[in-house]
Amino acid sequence: MHYPAWYVPFLTSPMLIAIIAILHVLVSHYAVGGGLFLAVETRYAYRTNNKEYLAYLKDHAWFFILITVVYGAITGVGIWWTIGLASPLATETLIHTFVFGWAMEYVFFVLEIISAFIFFYYWGRLEPKVHQAMAWIYAFSAWMSLVLITGITAFMLNSGGWVENKNFWVGFFNPQFVPQVIARTGGALLLSSLYVYLHAAFRVKDTALRDLIASRSTLPALVGAACVTLGGIGWYIFLPESAKAALAAASSLNIFMVLIFVLTIAVFAMLYLGPLRHPNWVSPGFALLLFGMGLAVFSAGEFVREAVRKPYIIYNVVLSNQILPEEVATLREKGYLEGGTWTSAWVRARYPNVVRSQQIDEKALLALPEPDQRELGKVLFQYHCSSCHATTEGYSAVAQLLRGWTPEMIKNLVQNPEKFHFFMPPWAGTPEEAELLTKYLVSITPPRPGGMR
Amino acid sequence: MTPTELIGPPSPLGYPAPYWFLVTFKVLGFTLHMVPMHLWFVGILLAMIFAQRGDVHAQRWSARLMRQMPVIIALGINFGIVPLLFTQVAYYRVFYPATILMAWPWFLIIMFLTFAYYGVYIYVTGLKDGAKLTTLKRAAGWVSAILFVAISFLFSNGFSLMTHLSAWPELWQETSVAGAPLGTGLNTSDPTLWPRWLMMFGLALTTVAAYTVFDAGVFARRESPEYRRWAANFALKFYTVGLIWFAVMGSWYLSTWPADARDQMLSSPLIILTALAALGPGLPWLLIFFQRRQITQALAILTGLAQFGVLALNAISRQIVQNIELGKFLDVTAEPVNLQLSPLIVFLVLFVAGLGVVVWMVGKVWQAERQPA
Repeated sequence: MHYPAWYVPFLTSPMLIAIIAILHVLVSHYAVGGGLFLAVETRYAYRTNNKEYLAYLKDHAWFFILITVVYGAITGVGIWWTIGLASPLATETLIHTFVFGWAMEYVFFVLEIISAFIFFYYWGRLEPKVHQAMAWIYAFSAWMSLVLITGITAFMLNSGGWVENKNFWVGFFNPQFVPQVIARTGGALLLSSLYVYLHAAFRVKDTALRDLIASRSTLPALVGAACVTLGGIGWYIFLPESAKAALAAASSLNIFMVLIFVLTIAVFAMLYLGPLRHPNWVSPGFALLLFGMGLAVFSAGEFVREAVRKPYIIYNVVLSNQILPEEVATLREKGYLEGGTWTSAWVRARYPNVVRSQQIDEKALLALPEPDQRELGKVLFQYHCSSCHATTEGYSAVAQLLRGWTPEMIKNLVQNPEKFHFFMPPWAGTPEEAELLTKYLVSITPPRPGGMR
Repeated sequence: MTPTELIGPPSPLGYPAPYWFLVTFKVLGFTLHMVPMHLWFVGILLAMIFAQRGDVHAQRWSARLMRQMPVIIALGINFGIVPLLFTQVAYYRVFYPATILMAWPWFLIIMFLTFAYYGVYIYVTGLKDGAKLTTLKRAAGWVSAILFVAISFLFSNGFSLMTHLSAWPELWQETSVAGAPLGTGLNTSDPTLWPRWLMMFGLALTTVAAYTVFDAGVFARRESPEYRRWAANFALKFYTVGLIWFAVMGSWYLSTWPADARDQMLSSPLIILTALAALGPGLPWLLIFFQRRQITQALAILTGLAQFGVLALNAISRQIVQNIELGKFLDVTAEPVNLQLSPLIVFLVLFVAGLGVVVWMVGKVWQAERQPA
């Protein structure tokens, strides 16, 4: 509303965020857990003077850099890039609230990058103690960046008392903060072990060494899985009521939750039976299967985390269609087209005859020819609805959802979306604008499928 | 439709710190970002050319630079976060609309960067001892070079569109569906775009040349005296070319400025800054000139610092021009401030502590470098 709405046909622009975010977390957690793995295991290898293991760790460090420093770093920036395009008002709010949180995270990013490169490129050229110190600097910095970004992302799910006092620390230490830090730390440990199994299964030919790697990585994996479970329970307990209800109501989320539950049990079982009891089971096939299941759990978890926030992008702060909750009443009174920066400019440029005394005359909108009314309805759809709905085809396409509805039913929905579905934002326009949007939706809604008895 | 109609309301949250603080970090971050950014923008291109067509020293230079490139890129991306962060704090009302109008090209930067970065890694595997630069690896290097040039063009588009508000209405109406931008626009109608981008190319040439001296004086201690002499000559030649390029494109860029920007930047007191930004590259050039027979460590470090100063002057004057251009539409200094004092202090403490850790780590590397191989 304050910003132009980026139209991404079929997919909707916020889905791009979801895709990139999921791709990112699969690596960013490894960037944290892998750092801890390298720090702990390098210490162990030096202490036991295990040269083969040290050689493996160097090989793993190269793999780690290629995955995390390149792909992880770029997709991390990519999320930021995309949220600014798809959800500018939410990004504006987050950045004005947490700029110093991000700035603190940046300090740790710099430490991560420098320590990671020194750890790898100066392997064998630093004293063992200094070499290990580099690994620990990396591990600590990576974990701190997890903590800092979790404060911000958890705020989006439950902003807690921030709405009342707008205090940085109240927003940062929101009710979701501790559970999510526990869950994400556990996720980092678990996922890094899965990466280690995968890497070792393909790279290590010496079975004794592979067994050592497998068995040493299992305890962190199990501890990680336990933390994910514990954090997950905390996550659920501290969910806002609306998010709990969304979790229960949306069938796709039900499926994802079952998937997460089943796959987590399977991963537990495979960890116990495989690397813990029979380290020699860690073959490329086994490691790939375990890795794939781990990625599936993480991807589903991230999708659920994003989806349950509806109707907000930031709980109680920014609605999913880029409106502040406190703006709704004003927009209902003076009109969404008038209140929106870009919609207002659009109407004034295209339909100057509906502007009276510097204001858009809502009554005059309904006197426009029908095609123009539908066009304005489409403008309203783009700005009010397209954050969550494609038009005729694609992600949650509105035409498919309304198939067979009568104009009265559609109008009723347009005027009261939050009453039909609590996870939809409220209508933020005048009755005349609701009429325009209804006309547009009616024009694209296909009839009820034929052949049904 | 007037461009000001397209600027949304200020954030009810206000700035979390005074404007001067935000802009200081923005300019400092951009200056830091420019060093590695210049090295990949022009450096990779030159490295690819010299790897194929250069003599033995040119090939050596190419290999040295490309071996360092993964670290350079990582640092460059990291340093780029700071100016982008503070741009989004202080310039959000123009930054978001501008990037949304060109959303797909802007989004492509991430894709290009991923491929370009991996391309560099693929190329570098061909530089390892006993490895061979196969056709595929060379191709990966060239793809990276081209992608980085493309990225720089897209960045110039984004940041020039941010101040070229007069182009917004037409661009928006031409590339939107029912008022929602498709995000396919580019700022090619802006007369400042091409000279601005090409001027940066010239400045990047000078940075590559200055870095060559810095590298030869500080990092390339194990290289032969012949290589170091070649590097000095190469740097002098390329700095001179870059300087001329910068002067020509800079003059062109200046001629495309809006009248008010020109008036202010060419009259007292800002004329001093304009003059310093224009003449600044003369100092590193002189330092390189003095080292044309022999690069010394002290002078090499001084050359690097002088070039950093050149980039800082450039970043400061760009910032002022940006504010003048925007001034017609928006006063970015006028927003209310809701100071977040305690998070700011925690950040500054962490920043200083982090710098201390970086110094410690670099010190350990320095010691390791001084040990016999």
